[in-house]
Amino acid sequence: MGRPKAFDETDAVLAAAALFADRVYAGVSVDDLVVALGVHRHSLYRTFGSKRGLYLAALRWRRENQLEPALAETPATGGLEALNRALNQEREALDLFLIAAVEQASTDPGVATEVGLFFTALDAAVARALGEDHAAGSPSVAEATAAILGHRLRAKATGRPD
Amino acid sequence: MARVTVDGQTLSVEIEGLDKLWALKSSLTIPLANVRGATVDPGVAKDSKGIRAPGTHIRGVITAGTFHIDGERIFWDVHDPAQAVVIELADERYARLIIQVDDPAATVALIVRALTESQDEL
Repeated sequence: MGRPKAFDETDAVLAAAALFADRVYAGVSVDDLVVALGVHRHSLYRTFGSKRGLYLAALRWRRENQLEPALAETPATGGLEALNRALNQEREALDLFLIAAVEQASTDPGVATEVGLFFTALDAAVARALGEDHAAGSPSVAEATAAILGHRLRAKATGRPD
Repeated sequence: MARVTVDGQTLSVEIEGLDKLWALKSSLTIPLANVRGATVDPGVAKDSKGIRAPGTHIRGVITAGTFHIDGERIFWDVHDPAQAVVIELADERYARLIIQVDDPAATVALIVRALTESQDEL
């Protein structure tokens, strides 16, 4: 309650986001977070309420400050390739959402909301990229979105950078 | 050991057995609106617990009762850290409850579900 914080909240959220992008939710312990964030356990609880509170903050930060701007700023003229490149620049953020989508989103409505907002932004960007030259035979928005996500999933599985 | 239940908009924590004696408390009742979250945290018992007053603390055996750290009041009832759950509160006598429950993952899931459902109703 109004106590001064001895740490930078954004730094802490980003450190947590990096951990959560690399492992399943249950695989990240509060001990891991305390070490990675460099904060005291009680400060972590005081600031974020719970591990889940910190996780949701990490998802929100990556979406609002990285993924949505990257998607919105990609010129429609570059097509899907430009979009894929832009997302590739935000790999860590994308990975956080891929793990969230396959794991916690099915059981946690808060996580499902975050993942849903990201998918909505991605669909909108894909629709723009497909644009006017949405010729016969070109993929639908859903197909193109799936291809972009699948591309990253496959790259991650094979350990290649893109 | 403690038992956590949710009834409507209220979270209840029942302290079971002899722990009532050690913790000097038999139950806590908290409106869901004052519950910020819950976390499975087996590592919590390793950290400094602060100053005990009142309650019982036998290192490695039991931590029970009210502890003060960083100007916050924390309720503890933990024998086995492997089953510890941290419940963060707002506008309550205690800043957080650190309690041992039978099934930590199920207890956290119960609280998260109650919190998301009560948010939906607002």
